[in-house]
Amino acid sequence: MDLAYQKKYLPTKITVAGYILLVSGFLLSVVGYFTNLERSAFNNIILLTFIISVGMGALFFIGTEYLSGTVWSVPFRRVVEFVAASILLVPFIALPILANMGYLFHWMHPEVVEMDELLKSKAPYLNAKFFIIRVTVFIAIWWLIYFLFTRNSLKQDETKDQKLTKTNTRLSAVFMPFFAITITFTAIDWLMSLEPHWFSTIFGVYYFSGSVLAGLATSTIAIIFLSEKGYLVKGISQDNYYSLGALLFAFTNFWAYIAFSQYLLIWYANLPEETFWFLERWEGSWMYVSIGLIFIRFVIPYFGLLSQPSKKDPKRLVVMSFIVLFAHYYDLYWMVMPTYAKDGFVFGWIEIGFIILAAGLLISVFSYIANKYNMVAIGDPKLKRGIDFKL
Amino acid sequence: MSSVEYTHEVSVIEGRPTLRSLDDLISKPLETRPDKKFYIALSITLSMLGLFVIGLIVTFYYGIGTWGNQIPVAWGFGIVNFVFWVGIGHAGTLISAILFLLRQKWRTGIARFAEGMTIFAVMTAGIFPLIHTGRPWLAGYLFPYPNQHSIWVNFTSPLLWDVFAVSTYFTVSLIFWYVGLIPDFATLREKTSNKIKKLVYSIFSLGWRFSNRHWQHYEMVYLILAGFATPLVLSVHTIVSFDFAVSILPGWHTTIFPPYFVAGAVFSGFAMVQNVLIFVRKIFNYEHIITIDTLERMNKIILLTGSMVGYAYSMEFFIAWYSGVQPEQFTFINRAFGPYAWAYWIMVSCNVLAPQLFWFKKIRRTIPVMFVIAVFVNIGMWFERFVIVVTSLSRDYLPSSWQYFTPSLVDFMILIGSFGFFFTWILLFTKALPVVSIAEVKAVVDGSQPSHKEH
Repeated sequence: MDLAYQKKYLPTKITVAGYILLVSGFLLSVVGYFTNLERSAFNNIILLTFIISVGMGALFFIGTEYLSGTVWSVPFRRVVEFVAASILLVPFIALPILANMGYLFHWMHPEVVEMDELLKSKAPYLNAKFFIIRVTVFIAIWWLIYFLFTRNSLKQDETKDQKLTKTNTRLSAVFMPFFAITITFTAIDWLMSLEPHWFSTIFGVYYFSGSVLAGLATSTIAIIFLSEKGYLVKGISQDNYYSLGALLFAFTNFWAYIAFSQYLLIWYANLPEETFWFLERWEGSWMYVSIGLIFIRFVIPYFGLLSQPSKKDPKRLVVMSFIVLFAHYYDLYWMVMPTYAKDGFVFGWIEIGFIILAAGLLISVFSYIANKYNMVAIGDPKLKRGIDFKL
Repeated sequence: MSSVEYTHEVSVIEGRPTLRSLDDLISKPLETRPDKKFYIALSITLSMLGLFVIGLIVTFYYGIGTWGNQIPVAWGFGIVNFVFWVGIGHAGTLISAILFLLRQKWRTGIARFAEGMTIFAVMTAGIFPLIHTGRPWLAGYLFPYPNQHSIWVNFTSPLLWDVFAVSTYFTVSLIFWYVGLIPDFATLREKTSNKIKKLVYSIFSLGWRFSNRHWQHYEMVYLILAGFATPLVLSVHTIVSFDFAVSILPGWHTTIFPPYFVAGAVFSGFAMVQNVLIFVRKIFNYEHIITIDTLERMNKIILLTGSMVGYAYSMEFFIAWYSGVQPEQFTFINRAFGPYAWAYWIMVSCNVLAPQLFWFKKIRRTIPVMFVIAVFVNIGMWFERFVIVVTSLSRDYLPSSWQYFTPSLVDFMILIGSFGFFFTWILLFTKALPVVSIAEVKAVVDGSQPSHKEH
């Protein structure tokens, strides 16, 4: 196969911008930790679950491509693999939280648990030891899957061995149950247990839907940037982009469906054990945040991606992806912060610092990895079909 | 693995048949008289249908008291069968609409049949709420209309949403099915020499002349209808799940119900489609159209959706414990170890354990084994609804009224009869309409795609 692929390096501008964001975000959050530890720790949870979402969403995308035998996304897959590398950051972001869990999780305090019948009954699950074991095991699984996926994919660049595709397909099948379980319990551990009395069986699916969107949106931004600037192979057309838009659109609807199901069922049954979680998000200025969530996470991307041309237009896709990605951060903020700020939403330099840190982390890791390897999986047997793909 | 080859697309139709031979093969059942086997099959399904009729006559003459329903189990087989049959219908829409949007070519061989099953399954399902209202001749009142007494239906009841959801679903499925049939009607119109048939096909083909312009319109309509049908697949079973989940009954009220019901519906629907297609491909010699690869893909979807259902069961169990709410915990322990434990474990082993065998390629490709697994899946999915409805109701908040539910003979007659109703339609369908889409299959045969100069 003679593909006109030549390895190009990202402009230093991007790398430098990434590092500047990273350093300034890091400094801001460190200062944040020293000025308001509790608030920073809550922000840290948002950051952590956000990065997990991006990484896991990307891994899910890769796994689905192998399992379904998709061809349109093959010219992009390496880019998605780069995005998935953000999963490597998770332990470093989790560390400051694990050191300050007492500020975040009610159930960490034995004296509180002693007084609270419900928490006492949950103690076999919600305790520091088991929590840390779960977090460690999950990270180990994610790292392992990431390394196996990328190792095989990179090896294929050299050997062009088709069997590696088969290996990764099998790996994807094994990965999917682990993906479902780990992402569910990540959502329960980091987000749901912030309000340890509250429970919702759909919560894992809710976080899953947002995570897929975050992974997709980040990948779409990176893919379109690289492809339009000519870092990937020639021959990629808007037909290849179309499905990125269609998937963003589909999962936006899926998120809305899950969010609506959760809300409607709790609202309708009106049981105090469940409703308080939504009531907290409806009191004071939180009401505006809740209403805003519907618009930013559903209404805007829905209408922005509804028509067929908009799913193909690279510019529109990038704008919508940024909105979707921001909406995921917003969604996490909406889930996490009401526990910290009961009277109304807070937004200040600490929050901004963590957002800058998130951007810095994603860009830095991406540009570091992207410069290291081929940006296209040139050994993939489906690559030619992917480039020739027509709707 | 020997078959490692990703560089080119493998055709979903085996052996590169000529387009003419496809026309002939697919329209053959419509041009030949039914054979003895067909009449034997029809007499079996009609006998079952007879049971249905008897069951209904008994029900209407003596009343719902002839069923096993009691207090507190006021919802018995009626709603279980309703949910079961609506679920069976879901595979058709998933195959015809969602797989179409996902550009899965292997759907072409099975889409028509699955869509037909959707329609018949929804028809079967629709009977149960009608019976359950007790006075089916008053069903018209289910639709809200302005009237002199200003009497309105209860808009806040999910049972009413069901009326809207199911009737919309039925309408769109029917239109979708019919639109797909138009080019085939035209093909049949050209082929037949029988005058009456020609007239009928001419009317239904709406003047189709295979012109480029017709195809362009057709494809646009088909795409838009697929877009409409896709949210409907989700909405119908979502609303069916709301029937239970908006209540405060432990075991019914849980937020995962909507996606869990949808996954379960697709799961059982695929199992049913797979079961029936195994016969169809054999009897009509469609083995190269509905290939073993296609069946394998269906089995993969059964594995996927079965695992989703397993995830939902586990999540319900875990959160019931995690919630710390006593009635919730009791309900689930009661399900697994109480008087209905037998039903619960039938459900778990059929729905969660049996499909796990599809992890093995060999089993995915062995017809007798996959057939048995899919039968188990359907049994399991019926029991799933039974477990949800009966275990929760029979152990409600008031222990003094707890009762064990025992279905009556009439219940079983209606259950068996519903299968008779469904399969009678299926049998008639196989002799009245092309069960595989002629036009679509032709488009995916090797050699029908535009090819470039390298050939």
